[in-house]
Amino acid sequence: MKDSSTAAVNMNMKTAKKERSKRTRLESLKRNKLLYLMIFPGVLYFIIFKYLPMGGLVIAFQDYQPYQGIMGSPWVGFKHFIRLFTEPTFFMLLSNTLILFALNIVIFFPLPIILALMLNEVRHKLFKNAVQTIIYIPHFMSWVIIVSITYVFLTVDGGVFNEMLAALGLPKISFLTSPEWLRTVYIGQVIWKELGWSTIIYLAAITVVDTQLYEAAEMDGAGRLRKTWHVTLPAIRPVIITLLILKIGSTLDLGFEHMYLLLNSLNREVAEIFDTYIYTAGLKNGQLSFSTTVGLFKGLVGLILVMLSNRLAKKFGEDGVY
Amino acid sequence: MKMKKMVKKMAALAICSTLVLAACGEKEKAAGGTAASGADPNAKTSISWLNILHTASPPTDTIIKKIEEKTNAEVKFSWIPDASKEERINTSLASDSLADIVTLTILDNSSVRNALKSGMFWEVEPYLDEFPNLAKISEDTRRSASIAGKLYGIPFQKDLARNGVVIRKDWLDKVGLPVPKTMDELMEVAKAFTEKDPDGNGKNDTTGFMDRSDLVYGAFKTLGSYMGVPNYWKVSEDGKMTPEFDTEEYVKAMDYMKKLYDNGYINQDFAVTAKTDQQQKFAQGKAGIYVGALFDSKNLKNMAKGVQDNMELVLVNNMTPTGSESERHIWAGNNGIGGLLSFPKSEVKDEAELKRVLKFVNDLMDDDMYALMTYGIKDVHYKVDENDAATIINQDLWQQEVQPFASSRPNETGYKIHDSDPLKAESDKLIKENANYAVLNPAYSLESETYSTQGSELQKIITDATYKYILGKIDLNGFKDAVENWKKSGGSKIISEYEAAYQEAKK
Repeated sequence: MKDSSTAAVNMNMKTAKKERSKRTRLESLKRNKLLYLMIFPGVLYFIIFKYLPMGGLVIAFQDYQPYQGIMGSPWVGFKHFIRLFTEPTFFMLLSNTLILFALNIVIFFPLPIILALMLNEVRHKLFKNAVQTIIYIPHFMSWVIIVSITYVFLTVDGGVFNEMLAALGLPKISFLTSPEWLRTVYIGQVIWKELGWSTIIYLAAITVVDTQLYEAAEMDGAGRLRKTWHVTLPAIRPVIITLLILKIGSTLDLGFEHMYLLLNSLNREVAEIFDTYIYTAGLKNGQLSFSTTVGLFKGLVGLILVMLSNRLAKKFGEDGVY
Repeated sequence: MKMKKMVKKMAALAICSTLVLAACGEKEKAAGGTAASGADPNAKTSISWLNILHTASPPTDTIIKKIEEKTNAEVKFSWIPDASKEERINTSLASDSLADIVTLTILDNSSVRNALKSGMFWEVEPYLDEFPNLAKISEDTRRSASIAGKLYGIPFQKDLARNGVVIRKDWLDKVGLPVPKTMDELMEVAKAFTEKDPDGNGKNDTTGFMDRSDLVYGAFKTLGSYMGVPNYWKVSEDGKMTPEFDTEEYVKAMDYMKKLYDNGYINQDFAVTAKTDQQQKFAQGKAGIYVGALFDSKNLKNMAKGVQDNMELVLVNNMTPTGSESERHIWAGNNGIGGLLSFPKSEVKDEAELKRVLKFVNDLMDDDMYALMTYGIKDVHYKVDENDAATIINQDLWQQEVQPFASSRPNETGYKIHDSDPLKAESDKLIKENANYAVLNPAYSLESETYSTQGSELQKIITDATYKYILGKIDLNGFKDAVENWKKSGGSKIISEYEAAYQEAKK
């Protein structure tokens, strides 16, 4: 008897709570209607350009023929998924993509933080600004230009770098056609292009660190290194985590243009990634359904990575992105 | 209450905006179909043409105006750069944003093939004989350009075999060698050009060959063809099909390339060299042997002006393994078909419209239209002598206004007017001669479902393995493994499907 009554009371409380939260939500909606109206265009944008096109994903389960349209094309179930997972190229694509992804995170990601910390220690204002400006510039060049510059430097037939090696009596290295150099060249180009630009947010985050903390640390006898380690870094930690999660979400997308330009017959075993494969299979060879399948799978991998890293971030007591 | 109103308003707004967007889509579609219908095939009409551009920038209006005058049509070109034709054609097909005339050059691309087979385009064969120039298209050409026995457009008629070897004559004289006739002599020349300092600058900075990252239109296929490699497929007496890379000759051709590579007789980065780089480097005197289309020689000589003024070129088309005439072979690119001019049913609505467009294509094949699209306007772009030899008088203007149309000519053979440039005349002569020794691809007009869907994917396996073998990254066993891999991944199916189709076609 007692049990059931408490249960009933509990029930009542729950519904009451629910009602209240509903009411407050409505009220807050009312109160902030202008704010909600302001997000409306944004929401519309996402619905039209991000969510509606997702409907097209159904062609992954069809043998899609453009002139028959989505309605007319035959349904084939998981045919394309089976083809993807049974093709030997699948593991090559997955491992290449994940390895380049890991290189991006492990090698490239920490560099802008270090550079930002170093720039922060530069006391000469003019010098600091000059360095900042110069290292931003490569960001504005397209991959076509960067890969072409690399080609001029690294080609075996009269490339600057190989001529230098030859002058030193060392054997020439065919950087562009050997699989073992591809990842080095790739990550080197990424660093050269994006390093400077990526420091911006960290530099901004550093400027808002409370100066009192530095003063306090100085009182405790901390040197520059100690101050960086114990004050600056912890202060920008949330920014680092947020950027890391965002980076993980977008890294699987980054490669296409860049990798497509580097890809050739001799380094395909390490250079073919999901993006380049989707492009050649789908747009060049017209296998629209199959490449949609590949894209869908890649999207899932990216989603899983983001969710994992977000959960990890929360576990370590950070905010995460959602 | 107020809230409800708000929601209503928002909903209304959302509906409005979707309507506006939908209206936009509608309008675009309506603008696509332009060709005016009318029973009279000579009536003034407007024709849109989705066309491939092989030059850096689209032409100015000058020539289009002339074409419009002569064909009594208003022509609207949409140019697709050749380098991105696959994705642009495929997206155009997928989104149904086509034109009255669509230039399709990649007939073995699976989605193009499927689109043709699906009946998206008019079948034109029944109409050809109504038009004098179209009626002249030979039965062979019609058959080669057909897909599953049906002709879905006007074929571009090109020369059968355009490739050959271009050699620096002045360098040959310098190193004291005759024009090579056999593959061994060619190797000797490559060696001498690499080691004997043919440019006489005292530096070891030249190679024999200058090649590019193209196993088909670069050196490999042509040299292979001289050594007896079949043109993609070999078919035996009893109808067995063998892919070229499963033959001994193919391996021999790879060994030849490997020897060139190992000894440094070829530019070491040929696997990543683009065509423009290849031609520029040749023009700069970095190498003495170029394998490609024979008419490139004129271009190479022009590019070398002011850089290598003493460049003299000799064209060779009779290379054989041992020097006997009976061994002469040269592969025929796409069996002389440069693609199709196709007419989508979504744009060309009825028979009358189709006939008007066919009339337009027919007119493009007239003598004066050929001259216009090849050399330009008389006395503006070119002058012509009593022997019908044309000389370009304003090279820059010609490049800008005329050259882009060269690839839009439905027919490139059998005209009286010809180029007065000796190299061009020589290459025309040799290309004509090539036709007698041309090896056709027996599978060109055969159907294979697997080839249509996976052929280009599978070809990558072979292309990659060929490069790796030439560069010494894999040995013969490695290459054989790749061929096995090709067969396992779908190649065997292609073979049996082609064999079945071959038997079918023979009946």
